[in-house]
Amino acid sequence: MKPRSHEPIFWSLFGGGGMLAALVGPILVLIIGLLVPIGLGFGPEAMNYEQMRGLLGHPMMGFGLAILIALFFFHAAHRILHTLHDLGVHASERLKLICYGSAAGGSALAVLVALVLVLRG
Amino acid sequence: MSQTRTIVIECLRFHPETDEAPYYQSYEVPFTEEMSVLEGLQYIKDHLDGTLTFRWSCRMAICGSCGCMVNDEPVLSCQTFLRDYHPARIRVEPLAHFPILRDLAIDQTDFLAKLESVHPYLIPSTGDDPGDQPRHQTPDQVQDYLGYAQCINCLLCYAACPQYGLNDAFTGPAALALLHRYNADSRDAGKDQRMEVINAEEGVWGCTLVGECSEVCPKHVDPARAINQNKIASTQDYFLRFLKPRGRR
Amino acid sequence: MNQPRTYTRGMQRWWLRRPSYRFYLLREGTSVVIALYGLFLLAGMAALAVGPGAFETWRGLLFSPLSWLLHLVVLAAFTFHAWTWFKVLPLTVPPVKTRRFPRGFTDATLNRVALWAWGVVSLVILVAAMRGLQ
Repeated sequence: MKPRSHEPIFWSLFGGGGMLAALVGPILVLIIGLLVPIGLGFGPEAMNYEQMRGLLGHPMMGFGLAILIALFFFHAAHRILHTLHDLGVHASERLKLICYGSAAGGSALAVLVALVLVLRG
Repeated sequence: MSQTRTIVIECLRFHPETDEAPYYQSYEVPFTEEMSVLEGLQYIKDHLDGTLTFRWSCRMAICGSCGCMVNDEPVLSCQTFLRDYHPARIRVEPLAHFPILRDLAIDQTDFLAKLESVHPYLIPSTGDDPGDQPRHQTPDQVQDYLGYAQCINCLLCYAACPQYGLNDAFTGPAALALLHRYNADSRDAGKDQRMEVINAEEGVWGCTLVGECSEVCPKHVDPARAINQNKIASTQDYFLRFLKPRGRR
Repeated sequence: MNQPRTYTRGMQRWWLRRPSYRFYLLREGTSVVIALYGLFLLAGMAALAVGPGAFETWRGLLFSPLSWLLHLVVLAAFTFHAWTWFKVLPLTVPPVKTRRFPRGFTDATLNRVALWAWGVVSLVILVAAMRGLQ
């Protein structure tokens, strides 16, 4: 009997991240990276410290952003691992550990930071 | 009108008893408007070089024997026309990703084993014997699998799939599409036996959705769809198995 | 009977063989940008938690001209990702479900629905941000 692949776990995380990156990724990049810095539709004080503390101090926004970042990481880890295989780098257990391990580490950090922001209000 | 022109066909040649490695050989082939690449190859064999080996049978895109690479594209040579390439030369090679047996003939042993592994036949449930009565299906039930039943095992999808080329343990597009064809059939009760093939690393999880299998399929079977729907099925099976009663996992 | 000797050609630089293979690698390559953007957002979050000084440094980076140019590339990568993602999305919807939809409901319809949803979600976020972040 062929062993069952554990890919469903990573594929689900990849799919969730890919879906969010597609649905909200472009508009977030447009707002944060392009519109706010040149003040198009936003004031010069947009995204200042106080405002962002208030915004991300809300559990929905703080943890929401952390989960978004975490899923970006897992989405990327999955694709990078498989693309390295495509480019001739064997997907060894060590490489899987590096890819998904760093995604998990980054995710844990994101949730931790969100927790700090939310607890401080 | 059937004006004769000339095209250069460059063939990959390999005879295992004399050749260390494959090499290209060019032939100048006179052709008419309606001549296919297969007929060009037949012209070479009949008039220029009797040692050229290639497979063919029906000449009408139904037997699936004459698949080859034409300018790096997997095609059925019987429905690919010389006129579409003239005045450029064309390069004809055996299907990519398979071991070359002789000239354009490839070794299909690996695919045949994979085809067998997916139980490509109806497995009725026990105690569900209709006797000599017909088994009825609604038009919708037929539509669920009809598309996947069009596969002619021509292997163009394997030649288009880099994942199969990179790792030939991957069950591959046609075998997985045929697996889905039987799973999707209302008369079949063999899903459990096929789930093991789907769930394996070499099953649907060998696919990264390059999507070329469906692009090159001469019968519009859409293996990419079959495989990706079964990624969902495999994911459900992975997580929901914990909810199933013991012994059914 | 002896097995005849066969010859297997390798996969050296297989992506050069077909343009669609390069398109596929480009699609997968967007994930590198997505990972880096995730890191950038995480850095901003962390700076926010550290304090006003750290956050102003991050915000200063964000407001630099180089950042603006880089974000053009990031936006292109995200948009390409979204476009290709919604393109293949219909492949994962089982026909048992699509069968219940009206006749003529095809992959193209599903793709259009996804693109509309993308547009609506983007617009809602844009309007909310413009009202909330002044």
